Amino acid sequence: MDPQMTEVTQLFGRFKAAFIRNDFVSCNSLLSQLKVLLTKFPSLPPSFQESPNAVQELTIAREIYEHAVVLSVKTEDQDAFERDFFQLKPYYTDTSGILPSSPQEYPILGLNLLRLLVQNRIAEFHTELELLPTSALDNPCLKHAVELEQSFMEGAYNRVLSARQTVPHETYVHFMDLLAKTGHPEWEIKDGFVFFQKAKESAPCKEIPSLQLINQTLSYARELERIV
Amino acid sequence: MATTTVAAPSSASGLLAMLSEPHPALKLHALDKINSLIHLFWPEISTSVPTIESLYEDEEFEQRQLAALVASKVFYYLGELNDSLSYALGAGPLFDVSEDSDYAHTLLAKALDEYANIKSKGLKPNEEAAQIDPRLEAIVERMLDKCITDEKYQQAMGMAVECRRLDKLEEAITHSDNVHSALSYCINLSHSFVNHREYRSEVLRLLVKIYQRLPSPDYLNICQCLMFLNEPDGVAAILEKLIQSGSKDDALLAFQIAFDLVENEHQAFLLNVRDCLPDSKSQASNEQPLEAVDHGRTEAGSPNGYVSTAADTPTSAPEDAHIDGSHTPNATPHGKEPNDFAKLKGILSGETPIQLTLQFLYSHNRSDLLILKTIKQSVEMRNSVCHSATICANALMHAGTTVDTFLRENLEWLSRATNWAKFSATAGLGVIHRGHLQQGRSLMAPYLPQSGASAGTSPYSEGGALYALGLIHANHGEGIKQFLRESLRNTSSEVIQHGACLGLGLAALGTADDEIYEDVKNALYIDSAVAGEAAGICMGLLMVGTASEKAGEMLAYAHETRHEKIIRGLSLGIALTVYGREEEADTLIEQMTRDQDPILRYGGMYALALAYRGTSNNKAIHQLLHFAVSDVSDDVRRTAVLALGFVLCSEPEQTPRIVSLLSESYNPHVRYGAALAVGISCAGTGLSEAISLLEPLTSDVVDFVRQGALIAMAMVMIQINESFDSRVGTFRRQLEKIILDKHEDTMSKMGAILASGILDAGGRNVSIKLLSKSSHDKMTAIVGLAVFSQFWYWYPLLYFISLAFSPTAFIGLNYDLKVPRFEFLSNAKPSLFEYPRPTTPPTSSSTVKLPTAVLSTSAKAKARAKKDAEQKANAEKLSGEEASGSGKGQKPSEKHADSMQVDSTSERKVDPEPSSETIVNPARVLPAQEKYIRFLEGSRYVPVKQKYTNRPAPSGFVLLRDLQPTEAEVLALTDAPAAVASAAGGGASAATQQGSTSSAMAVDDEPQPPQPFEYTS
Repeated sequence: MDPQMTEVTQLFGRFKAAFIRNDFVSCNSLLSQLKVLLTKFPSLPPSFQESPNAVQELTIAREIYEHAVVLSVKTEDQDAFERDFFQLKPYYTDTSGILPSSPQEYPILGLNLLRLLVQNRIAEFHTELELLPTSALDNPCLKHAVELEQSFMEGAYNRVLSARQTVPHETYVHFMDLLAKTGHPEWEIKDGFVFFQKAKESAPCKEIPSLQLINQTLSYARELERIV
Repeated sequence: MATTTVAAPSSASGLLAMLSEPHPALKLHALDKINSLIHLFWPEISTSVPTIESLYEDEEFEQRQLAALVASKVFYYLGELNDSLSYALGAGPLFDVSEDSDYAHTLLAKALDEYANIKSKGLKPNEEAAQIDPRLEAIVERMLDKCITDEKYQQAMGMAVECRRLDKLEEAITHSDNVHSALSYCINLSHSFVNHREYRSEVLRLLVKIYQRLPSPDYLNICQCLMFLNEPDGVAAILEKLIQSGSKDDALLAFQIAFDLVENEHQAFLLNVRDCLPDSKSQASNEQPLEAVDHGRTEAGSPNGYVSTAADTPTSAPEDAHIDGSHTPNATPHGKEPNDFAKLKGILSGETPIQLTLQFLYSHNRSDLLILKTIKQSVEMRNSVCHSATICANALMHAGTTVDTFLRENLEWLSRATNWAKFSATAGLGVIHRGHLQQGRSLMAPYLPQSGASAGTSPYSEGGALYALGLIHANHGEGIKQFLRESLRNTSSEVIQHGACLGLGLAALGTADDEIYEDVKNALYIDSAVAGEAAGICMGLLMVGTASEKAGEMLAYAHETRHEKIIRGLSLGIALTVYGREEEADTLIEQMTRDQDPILRYGGMYALALAYRGTSNNKAIHQLLHFAVSDVSDDVRRTAVLALGFVLCSEPEQTPRIVSLLSESYNPHVRYGAALAVGISCAGTGLSEAISLLEPLTSDVVDFVRQGALIAMAMVMIQINESFDSRVGTFRRQLEKIILDKHEDTMSKMGAILASGILDAGGRNVSIKLLSKSSHDKMTAIVGLAVFSQFWYWYPLLYFISLAFSPTAFIGLNYDLKVPRFEFLSNAKPSLFEYPRPTTPPTSSSTVKLPTAVLSTSAKAKARAKKDAEQKANAEKLSGEEASGSGKGQKPSEKHADSMQVDSTSERKVDPEPSSETIVNPARVLPAQEKYIRFLEGSRYVPVKQKYTNRPAPSGFVLLRDLQPTEAEVLALTDAPAAVASAAGGGASAATQQGSTSSAMAVDDEPQPPQPFEYTS
C-alpha cells in the first residue's frame, strides 16, 4: 500500500478516536494535518487525475471531510462548517461515476440547508435545493429543512419551535438551538415567544434634482444645435 | 497535462473555501489549483478576489507572487486591464512573457501601451510623470529582447519606436538580417506613426547615424532624412563626397539625390545646400549649362533638330563625358569636378528640373482646344464671372506648357476682361508660362509697370503681370525678387501693390527674407484693404513653416485693423507660418481658435490644417471636427471641414469615410467643405469612394455646393481616363451639359468651367500631388492648395492651384543631364493610361443621328479616304520612328500624327488590346501606372538607383547609367527648348504674334473638323 495512504489512514484512525472522545482540540490539529496530506493525492478534486488508488483516495478524503463537517458543527464553528462543506461538495457532485454514494450525504446536505436557514441566506438555500434531484427531497433530513423553511415563510412559528423535537439526526439539534438563540433581523425568540421588531422607517422621499435636470436639458438643447 | 482524468470538476467553490483555511500549505495548494482552472471558473472566482488580493498583500505569505498572478488573471477575465496589469507586475517572474495565451498577449499589449504612454508623457515639461515602474520596464525590455532573438525585427522596431527606446531600436536594426530594409521600414514608421515632431527628429537622427556606419550607406535615404532634420551641411557633405569620389556612377547618384530633394520643394533648404557646396571654380563654369541652352536655341532652325545624335549635338559635353568614362575617371579631376558641381547646383537651384519639366510639358502637350472653344461659345459675353473662369480654365489647361494659342486667337474676346478680370487674365499668363525662368520677365514685359511713364497700361494688368511673374518663378524666385521688390516700393496703386505682394510671396516662398518682409510690412501698414490682404498672404508665404515670431506681430495688426480683407489675409498668413510645425504650433492655434473674431478663428482652421498637414493626427482631426459642428460662424465651419482634407492628405482612403456624414449635413457650408476636403486629400487618386461621395453633391440644391463639388471632382479625377473609371466620362458629359445649359446659374457654371480646366490641366500631363515619392509633404503644393481654397473670397487666388500641379513624367537623364531616347515597358493595357480622346466638334453628332441618309457609295468613299489617311499616318509614323522600332499605337512620346484622326481607335477594336506597351523616354507615366513600369532586358540604360538601393525608379527624374558609353546617344527633348525660346523671343519683341502663333500651331495639332456632311435624298 502506498505509504502516504498508510499515513493518512493511521492519522484518520487517531482522529476518529479523538472524535469519539469528543477531544476537539486534538481533532482539529489532526484534521489540519490530514488536509495537508490530502493535497498530495493527485486524484482528488479538482485535478481528478487517474491513479491506481483513485477510488481509495477519494473515499477516504470524502470521509475525512464528512467528519470535518460534523466536527465543525460540534465545535459550533460556522465558518469551518462552510469551508469544509464546500470542500466536501465536489465529492458528492463530481464523483458519482466513481464512488458509491455516501450514507452521510443527505444528512450533511440537510445540515447545510439548515445552516443557510439559520444565517437567513434564503436565496442560497433555494439554489441548493434546486440543485438536488426531486427524489432526494423525500429523504427525512432534507424534508426536515424544507418543511422548516416553509413554516418560516408561512409565519407558523409554533411549528418552527416544535421542530426541534423532531430532528432527524442528533447534529441537527445544534442548529435548531442556534436558530432559537440568534434570531433574525425581523424577529427573535424569547422564552418560547416570537417577538417582531418594529419596521424601520423608510427614508424620506428625495427632492427633485432640479438643478441637474435643468443642466441636462440645456446641454441636450446645445447638442441638438450641433447636429450637423 | 497529458494525464487522463476520471472526472471533471464542476465548480471551484471547494478551492475557494480552501483558500480561507488557516494552514498556509492548504492556501497554497488552493491557489495553485485555482491558477490552473481559472479559465473555466473565473466567474465564480471573481467573487473571491478580495481573498486573493489579501493573500497577495499578506507579507508573510510565501507565494505572494502566485496570488498576484491569479488576481491578475481574474481581473483580465473581468476586463479590468489596469488592475490586471498592476497585479501581473506584482507576479514578477511568474508572469510569462512568452506564454502563448490570450491573457499573456493582451497584457503584454497593455504593458506596452502603458509604457509608451508614460514615456511620451515624460517628454512633457513636468518631470514627475517620467517615473516608470522598473518592473514595467523590465517586462517591456524582456519583450523587446525576445523579439530580437526571435528575429521578429519589424515588431521589435515598431515597439521600440513606440516606447521611445532608441537604444533598443538601434539594437534591433543592427541585428536585423537586412539592415537597409530595416532602415527604410523605420523611416516609413517614423513618418506615418510618430506623431511627435521632435521625437521623430530624434528617430531620424539615429537612423542617419546607423546609415552612416554601414559599409554601403544608402545616401538617397540619408539625404531625405537630413532634409527632414533640416541639416543642409550634412547633405552638402555627402554630395561633395560622392562627386569627389571620381566615379561616374557616384556622380550620377549625387544628381539623383539632388533631384529627389528638389521634388520636396523645400526652397530655403535647397538653397542652403547649394551654398554649402564648394565654390571653387564653380562660379566660372556655371555659365556652361546656360551656354548649352543658348546653343540649342540657335540650332532650332535645323531640320533634324528633333532627333539629333550626339555627333551633331551643339555642345561637346557628351563626348567629354565618354572620354572620362572610358579612361581613368580621375584623370581630369580639375576639369570635371567643378563641372559636376555646377550641374549639381543647377539641379538644386531648380533650374535644371524646371527646364526639363517645361520641355516635357511643352513637347507632350495634349490639351484639347475644342473644349475651350465650346466653353467660350456657350458662355454669355456679359457674364464676367464665366468669362474670367474661362480664361482661368485655359490657363490651367496649359499650365506650364507655354502654349498660349487660345489667348492669341481670341484677343478681342480677351479684351472684354476689365478691372480685376484683367488682373486675373494677365496673371493667367504666369500659369501658362510657369517655370519659364529665363524668358519670364521678357514675356511679361508688355504688361509690366514701366519705370518712366506708367500711362500706357492699366494698373490691373500691371498688378496681374507682377503676380504672373511670381507664378512663373514660384518657389524659385532668386532672379526676380529684386525686381518685384522694386515694383512694390515704386508704386502707390493698391492694385499693383496687391499683385506685387502676391508675386513676391510666391517667388520668395519660405525664404524668410527679412528685407522683403519689411517692404511688405510697409505695404500692409498703409491699411488699404486690397493691398493689405495680399500683404498678409505674402508675409505668410515668406515665412512658411518658420514658426517665426512675426506671427505675433501679424496677429496684433489683425486685431488693430478694421478691414475684413486684411484680417483674412493676415490670418491665412499666420496659418502659413506654422506650416508643418505640428504641436509646436498649438499655442498659436489655441490663440486663434479662441478669438472673438470669426475671421481669425477661420485662420485658426487653416493653421490646424497646415501645421498638421498630412499627419492624420488624431488630435487635430478631433479639433477640426469639433469646430465643424460647433462654431457659430459658417465660414469657420466650412473651413474646418475643408481643413480635414489637408490633415488627411497622406491617407486619402480615410477622408471619404470621415467626411461622409458631414457631406450630408443640412448646412450647405459644411457640405461644401466636405466636397473640397475630399478634393484636396484625394486629388489625382481617382479613388472610387471619393467619386461616390462627390457625385450626389454635384447636383446639390445649393449653387455653391455644386461649384465646390465640381471642382473637387475634377481634382480627384485629374488624369484618370474613362477606361479606368467610367464615371469620368459621365462627369465630362455633365460638365459639358452644365456649360451649355442656358438656365444653369452662374456659380455652378463657373465651377464646371474651372473643373474642365483642372481635369485637363497642364496639357493633360500633370496631376495634383501633395506628397513626394518619398512621402514627404510637398510644401509648395500644399501651400498652393491652401491659398487656392481662398478663391471663395477672391477669384484671382484660383491660380495658386497651379503650384500643386506636378508633371506625371518619367524623364530619364544621362550624365550630362540630357534626355537620351530609349525604350522601356509599361506592363499594362495601354488604354488604361492613355490620354482621353480629343473631343469631336458638335456637328459630328448630327451625322451619327442620320446614318441612313448617307449613300452607301459616299460612305464607302469616305471610308476609303479615311483608310488612306490612316495608312499614310502609319507610314509616316513608321518612317519617322525607326529608332523606336515597334509600331504600336498611342505612344505618348510620338507626335500627334494620329490624334488628328477622329476614330483612330477603330484599328484597335479589331485586334485584341496588347497587355503591355513600349514607351519611350521621356514619357508620361501616371501615378497608377508606376507599378507597371519595367526596364527592358538588356536595355542600354539602367537607373542608377537600382545599383545602389535596388529600388525601382518608375517616375520623375531618373538618372541613368549608360552601359554602352562608347556608342553615340540619341537625344530627345532637344528641340523643345529651342522652339520655346524662339516663340518667347518672338513674343518679347515688338512684332509679337505671327511668329509665335505659327510655331505654337505647328506642335499643337488640333483635330480637324470633319468634312461637311452630305445630305442626299
